[in-house]
Amino acid sequence: MSGHERFLTLDPQHDTFPKLVRDNARAMPDRIAIREKDYGIWQAYTWRDYFDRGRRIALGLASLGFARGDKVAVVGDNRPELYWAVLATQCLGGVPVPLYQDASEKELAYVVDHAEARFAVVEDQEQVDKLLAIKAQCPRLEWIVYDDGRGLRAYSEPCLLSLAELEERGEKFAVGHPAVFEAELARGRAEDIAVICYTSGTTGMPKGAMLTHRNLLVMARVATEREGLRPDDEALAYLPMAWVGDHMISYAQAIATGFTINCPESAATVLHDLKEIGPTYFFAPPRIWENLLTTVMIRVEDAAWPKRRLVRFFLELAQDLERQRLAGQPVSSWRRLLAPLGGLLVYGPLRDNLGMRRIRLAYTAGEAIGPEIFVFFRALGINLKQLYGMTEASVFVSVQKDGDVRLDTVGTPMPLVDIKISEQGEVLFRSPGVFPGYYKNPEATAQTLDDGWIRSGDAGFLDAAGHLKIIDRARDVGRLAGGTLFAPKYLENKLKFSPYVKEAVTIGQDRPYVAALVNIDLGAVGNWAERRGIAYTSYTDLSQKPEVYDLIEQEVRRVNESLLEDEVLRGAQIRRFLILHKELDPDDEEITRTRKVRRGHIARKYAALIEALYGDRDRVQVEAQVTYEDGRTGTIRADVAVRDVPAAGAGR
Amino acid sequence: MIEFLRSLVLPFADMVSSPTFFVEVLVGGIAAGLMYSLVALGFVLIFKASGVFNFAQGVMVLFAALTLVGLMERGMPVPVALALTVAVMIALAFAIERVVLRPLVNQEHIILFMATIGLNFFLEGLGEQLWGSNVKRLDIGIPDESFSVAGVLLNKLELSAALTAAVLVTVLAVFFQRTRIGRALRAVADDHEAALSIGIPLKTIWVIVWSVAGIVAIAAGVMWGAKSGVQFSLSLVALKALPVLILGGFESVPGAIVGGLIIGVGEKVAEVYWGPLVGGAIENWFAYVLALAFLLFRPQGLFGERIIERV
Amino acid sequence: MTEASGPLLSVEDISVRFGALMALSRVSVEVHRREILAIIGPNGAGKTTLLNVVSGFYHPYEGRIRFEGRDRTSLKPPDVAELGIARTFQNVALFRGMSVLDNIMTGRLLKMGGHFLLDAVWYGPARRQELAHRAAVERIIDFLEIQAIRKTPAGRLPYGLQKRVELARALAAEPKLLLLDEPMAGMNVEEKEDMCRFILDVNSEFGTTIALIEHDMGVVMDISDRVVVLDYGRKIADGPPEQVRKDQAVLDAYLGVAHD
Repeated sequence: MSGHERFLTLDPQHDTFPKLVRDNARAMPDRIAIREKDYGIWQAYTWRDYFDRGRRIALGLASLGFARGDKVAVVGDNRPELYWAVLATQCLGGVPVPLYQDASEKELAYVVDHAEARFAVVEDQEQVDKLLAIKAQCPRLEWIVYDDGRGLRAYSEPCLLSLAELEERGEKFAVGHPAVFEAELARGRAEDIAVICYTSGTTGMPKGAMLTHRNLLVMARVATEREGLRPDDEALAYLPMAWVGDHMISYAQAIATGFTINCPESAATVLHDLKEIGPTYFFAPPRIWENLLTTVMIRVEDAAWPKRRLVRFFLELAQDLERQRLAGQPVSSWRRLLAPLGGLLVYGPLRDNLGMRRIRLAYTAGEAIGPEIFVFFRALGINLKQLYGMTEASVFVSVQKDGDVRLDTVGTPMPLVDIKISEQGEVLFRSPGVFPGYYKNPEATAQTLDDGWIRSGDAGFLDAAGHLKIIDRARDVGRLAGGTLFAPKYLENKLKFSPYVKEAVTIGQDRPYVAALVNIDLGAVGNWAERRGIAYTSYTDLSQKPEVYDLIEQEVRRVNESLLEDEVLRGAQIRRFLILHKELDPDDEEITRTRKVRRGHIARKYAALIEALYGDRDRVQVEAQVTYEDGRTGTIRADVAVRDVPAAGAGR
Repeated sequence: MIEFLRSLVLPFADMVSSPTFFVEVLVGGIAAGLMYSLVALGFVLIFKASGVFNFAQGVMVLFAALTLVGLMERGMPVPVALALTVAVMIALAFAIERVVLRPLVNQEHIILFMATIGLNFFLEGLGEQLWGSNVKRLDIGIPDESFSVAGVLLNKLELSAALTAAVLVTVLAVFFQRTRIGRALRAVADDHEAALSIGIPLKTIWVIVWSVAGIVAIAAGVMWGAKSGVQFSLSLVALKALPVLILGGFESVPGAIVGGLIIGVGEKVAEVYWGPLVGGAIENWFAYVLALAFLLFRPQGLFGERIIERV
Repeated sequence: MTEASGPLLSVEDISVRFGALMALSRVSVEVHRREILAIIGPNGAGKTTLLNVVSGFYHPYEGRIRFEGRDRTSLKPPDVAELGIARTFQNVALFRGMSVLDNIMTGRLLKMGGHFLLDAVWYGPARRQELAHRAAVERIIDFLEIQAIRKTPAGRLPYGLQKRVELARALAAEPKLLLLDEPMAGMNVEEKEDMCRFILDVNSEFGTTIALIEHDMGVVMDISDRVVVLDYGRKIADGPPEQVRKDQAVLDAYLGVAHD
């Protein structure tokens, strides 16, 4: 423990993020702080630019009558301007509230109103439209500032202001008030609220977790030291700014450590930009790792057969080796000898291709990752580690240490973090990162925060070596009608290892057997179908092709086979499944914006399908509501097939 | 069996033990390869610009050589005859655009292909009519003799042919890869109507491309003709260009060059070192076997775009 | 802006005949600067023919076409393009083997001044020019939000995106008049919404005059300033959307013709 306590003492001259950005701008004015790909070229901004733009925006806000404690909603893709807006807000003692850029009007209205935001700084027309639509419901919202003015020429609302206009106002304001900025900056204290992150949660209304500068700064520094981050590291700022993970890495850690963040051109170009940047530090939820795996697999399938065979051989070899290594088993020597050849022929090129050539540190967090996916990336030689964290703890709770990675644990507690297990088996922890509470929600705060300890809501235990092992969301682990233990997330992750499966929901609580609703991956299955000359017209059409059912059945059988190895779970095999005719979509409230499955909602919405999974018909009619981007709704009707799968190991 | 394996491996030892001879073989291969490239380039240009496999490319080579020889036989000095031949080929390009291509705008590629077959017979007949059908010798003033550099024997004619081909190939590659005409070419090949609508002058492009193909044909005709005489079989060099195209991809200028070199060097080396093993004449089929192998494993060629059409 | 007063394009009494079929008979249409004009009508009414006449693919046997006040009746497609009229096609005419970027770059060929052959000789200037044009193309890529598919061969894109790329190529020519032949055909609701937004944005950001053919009445009513209705090769209505919607001749045309 010794040594890390020094991080707890903060010098009042350097105890807020604005003060640290000012430090960076002085100490390394010409080092690159942010890159953004725009018009096909990477544009670079230095720490001097960072601080300067933050100051200009802050002055603009001040000219509009900004008061300490005011909230600023920040909505859009990861753009330098939006990070500067976060900085500007903090400079004036205000609180930035980053929001999910794909939030619906309803979700946006709730948060903007709840947070009492007076200002909104947004990316473009899309967000302006949404905010204008909800303005009537958010009486405190006064100004909407946008960065990209395209399509906004004809808008005449007086509350609209472009970022350029705002900065111009700020410049004029500064002439009359030359000392305001420095004075406000100096008034910032470590205990001030630095950000409010609204967590979408799989149930109920979003809650606004407040985090102080101290929370974020101490944890950022602790993590930087333990994980060995450096000023020359490069990270990709591509996860939603509203997610605490992005705020910690792309803002807090980037400032505290002084490394460079890179903003992709658009959400659709992330994989390509990743390749161009080749980050050294990469943070992704399991979802992204699944997508990456899918793109790799599609490419392998597209290759000519000798190449395909070669790649498959070496990938299997590496995964076997990595599995043995993680389990601490001895590795047979001839295979160890083959590994360097694989590195030359397969792993190296693949790493390059994924943009992971330079990675020193990669995390998966947010929810449990499928072991197959985890092993796959480690097998390629990528230092992928599991991180267990929560918004309420300023992200870091436990992380697998370099060289001490195990498949089934999320590592040991971070320095300054204490973990204990409650009598009910729930994971509790406390740390300097623990938040002061939810904004305007004392009941929720009381439920989560107990005498400085946070209730995680996850079931888990600490093993003999001090590693934290998470079993599942405490309330999700269930039993079949016969009493057999059933872990839905575990099964779903196994299914999602297949490149063809994008999302899966398994059901079994108090049911005679486990059944699954499967979402196919349009890219991978579409590609597979094209190569076989199977014509299809739409997602729905493709999803219901008998050939696609055959394909998915193989995947389900594979999962069932792999369950045989597990004494406890082998009774919970998937016996019946169907392929959903539409993609699960956050707009339809089927998954959260961070792409966690909302089981309750799905159970209600697809009750008819679930009944069919436990009935004996092999087809079922379904109607589903879909919500388009603009909020309008429509109905999709489809005929969905249901298929039986034999239990594995029954014949043996 | 052991004996067979030995004779398979032994040639490698030969290459090492007698490097000068190996270099001579290599140079010979490169020279032949560049000439294949030149013929293939004619195909590639027209294929890129119109999406059509120009069946008449071989005959254009013959026609160009016949014209040159014919003019020289009438007592013209080489430079004048050459300039005139170039003019003839450009005039031919104009005529082809006017008479064959323009009426067939936006027709199926297969129809344009048929038109080039017609063109093939027409040019063959015209050539014979104008210049006669007997074998002619083409002497452009470079002797078919050898000299030695660092112990390596080099043929003057072959060397200058290779040099010319290299220069021509480079110029064309730069012209078509690096200037916007390359893009315009591909646009025209993909969709005539769309190309017109964005202001690409179809006629100009076609004339340019056929003129260049004609000039390339002259170069090929001169080189092959100087080596083996100007006769009908000259049009058959087109057959050698086919495997080059399969190797390099029908739409790729660098593909035509690299493909030509691979086949030129490959068949020479195979013939000289492994020929005795199978009783010789590898040169005659090596290129086709190689092309066949490519068709199996990489049908789009070395430089071609992957062929995946959406269903 | 010397001609700022008159219409940008005026089609005066043109008739087009295919054999015995009168595709257009004495149709007159004016397109005013900076407006969005929709041309509607039942199938076979002559809408595409009208577009083809304007872009020089067909020539009328009577009537005149004026562009910016000058007679342009007998021009051929490349010349029409040079005047500043760009178009898209009903069935997407992209260069399928070329990347999206190259497709859009071809749209700027006319902007590239100089002669084809000179490029090869004066290599330096050509390179600089290429970069300048690339910058312009990148702005269009950004505008139409197709950054992710820059390097993808156009033929591999889904239909909706192909239409967007075709629009991008037309825009690359910085046209004064943009002709769109069913820009939203075969699109789903979300793609249509996007396309509508792009068309409106093009009109307001670049001040481009747009004439488009469209079947979706909702779209037409939403985005156009003026509507021209054709039926059996004749113009039967011309006016603002609200007015055309109530026009008896239009209602008859749509009710009288089986609509598939």
